[in-house]
Amino acid sequence: MTFFAPFTIPFIVGCLLLLLCIVCKWLLWIVRMPRVDRRLIRHNFFTRHTLLAAWEVVRESLLHVRIFRHNPMLGFMHMSLAFGWFLLIVVGWIETTAYLGWEMVPPQGHVFFKYFVPINGITAHKPLFDHLMDALLLFVLTGVALAWFKRLRSRALGMRRTTKHVLFDRVALSALWFIFPARLVAEVLTAAMYGGGGFLTGSLGVWVANVVPHDIVEVLYEPSWWFYSSALGLFFVAMPFSRYMHIFTEIPLIFMRRWGLHPSHERKSYDNFEVEACSRCGICIDPCQLQADLGMHDTQSVYFLRDRRYNMLSLKVANNCLMCGRCETVCPVGINLGTLRLNSRAMRRNIPHEGRYKYLRGVDMSSGDGTVGYFAGCMTALTPGVQRAMEQIFGAVGEDVWYADRDGGVCCGRPLMLSGETDAARKMVVYNTDLFRRHNITTLVTSCPICLRVFRDNYRLDGIEVLHHTEYIDRLIAEGRLNIKAAAERYTYHDPCELGRGCGIYDAPRRVIDAVGELREPRHSRRDALCCGASLANTVIDDAQQQRIARRMTAELEATECSTIITACPLCNKTIARAAQLPTCDISEIVAKNIVSNTP
Amino acid sequence: MRNLNFGYGISRPRAVDLDTNDLRKGLDIIAEMPELQACIGCGSCTASCTAGNITDFNFRKLHTAVRRGEYKGVYEALGKCMLCGKCRLVCPRGINTRAVVMLIKRKLGDF
Repeated sequence: MTFFAPFTIPFIVGCLLLLLCIVCKWLLWIVRMPRVDRRLIRHNFFTRHTLLAAWEVVRESLLHVRIFRHNPMLGFMHMSLAFGWFLLIVVGWIETTAYLGWEMVPPQGHVFFKYFVPINGITAHKPLFDHLMDALLLFVLTGVALAWFKRLRSRALGMRRTTKHVLFDRVALSALWFIFPARLVAEVLTAAMYGGGGFLTGSLGVWVANVVPHDIVEVLYEPSWWFYSSALGLFFVAMPFSRYMHIFTEIPLIFMRRWGLHPSHERKSYDNFEVEACSRCGICIDPCQLQADLGMHDTQSVYFLRDRRYNMLSLKVANNCLMCGRCETVCPVGINLGTLRLNSRAMRRNIPHEGRYKYLRGVDMSSGDGTVGYFAGCMTALTPGVQRAMEQIFGAVGEDVWYADRDGGVCCGRPLMLSGETDAARKMVVYNTDLFRRHNITTLVTSCPICLRVFRDNYRLDGIEVLHHTEYIDRLIAEGRLNIKAAAERYTYHDPCELGRGCGIYDAPRRVIDAVGELREPRHSRRDALCCGASLANTVIDDAQQQRIARRMTAELEATECSTIITACPLCNKTIARAAQLPTCDISEIVAKNIVSNTP
Repeated sequence: MRNLNFGYGISRPRAVDLDTNDLRKGLDIIAEMPELQACIGCGSCTASCTAGNITDFNFRKLHTAVRRGEYKGVYEALGKCMLCGKCRLVCPRGINTRAVVMLIKRKLGDF
């Protein structure tokens, strides 16, 4: 048995280079990991997490279930290419074994088996495998056809915009598109020469044999296999340097994520797995409001990850993001886009001297006394109506409240974190934690979702329950401590990014609004809600651009024909109020307005 | 007689003295953030400032000094800023103040 022909050389070389590159990359990334991460891998290796990860690999890397949920056609395209190709390899291997028994066959023997069948004088045919392999080839070819179709009409596959690729990706993409048609042509010509083949290659082979003169088929036969092998070889060589590296990165990523690894505010080796697992599918482009409202086409997560991967990330691209999290909710790979963006910012932060926040020492501007603490937040200082409403609500339920920052306070630290200055933010974290502890509070209520997020994610407040005021009010109503009357008003609610996608609070504000009036949902709500545009995370867009985003999203809120727009974030509140025709208020303000006095 | 003080004094002239003021950095900063020139010096940023409430931190004074080519102590003083962003919300000219703080810090970091 011979399993070598000169045309297989491109394939073999490509395979070897691919193997070498991937092993080098994986080893390098794992060796460079901090010890904590490596220990996590060791600890969790023989646990059920590994089995769960394997199942997730099947679902996501092969079947692409999350993309199916996004758009079935797009899911089918990705699945037919990934799962179809995988089956072609596996079934091809079984086919060879069925023909030759457990004989040692080199990889090219499996891949180009149809070529080696006549050469080795194998005369027995196994039609089942011929048909099966043809069916699989057809399956993959439909995927390729859909990929071509997506270039022409991406909207049909649920994408308004697709990714603009760099040269290397284009080369790899072209090679990938040629692989399967080339395989079809090569197998059809083989069938025309020697007969055999399944319902696709066999019948096309008969047709070619009838139509095309035999000597022409003979001339084309060998080059067609050369072309197929070269397309494969080129794709394999381009793979580790192009977006197709995601095929071999997503698999370890899924395992490591299940083992408990995650990116943090400092860059580390694990980030490589996340960055290179991006397939640049471009699903994150459409939800980005910078793209939809401002026509910016270079700063979406897909381009950020690409720039970071090829070391050409500019400060502008790193900073030009609202961190609203809309892309993260749709990312089919589940990459921590926000955290990666933040640690890219942290890399380039300016590091001033240590003692610059010394003035915080000994500052205490709090007032009042009670086990419930109220932290209004910087932004609430600019919406005094919210502060007054909260005081009214506290008064109505007779709560003893300690006011952390009624007369001015210290920032929570989240804005500094969003600019990558985690070390500076740490000073605020320490200061505020100390302040809360000193006043012995057991509950901390805040009106600002930005503060809430950092209190929950970055503060260690064991023993202190941190609540957003919507949750607090919701609880007061549920416990019957706060009586409010329902009015015949129609409200619409805007989900602030940090409260909704950031902290997962969607239902508490809705329950509160249901108690005071009728709630009307805008077109985009809950996880899909739009950002108001004034996010502290973006320091690139200017005032006019912020307003343009705000007007677009406000128009959607006003389209619900409500009488008042309600939100639960002082920053969103100010932004929407500026863009809206309708009155805008905070959820606490409408509650305060509708309080029914308990005293007879 | 020298110690007598009736509460009056003569302010030093505030003209930009090109012998001592080096405008290059300031012009550089303005070139990157031209909107800073729209500042009318109303002082809303300083009035709403979280850090200014606790210390003598004065953003209007600092960025004015930078534009005048006076950088001494500016970088250290800007370190007090907590980037909370109230100044941006209250600015009547819609200047992206947080970006200004970060830009000045970056440009003056090696000054």
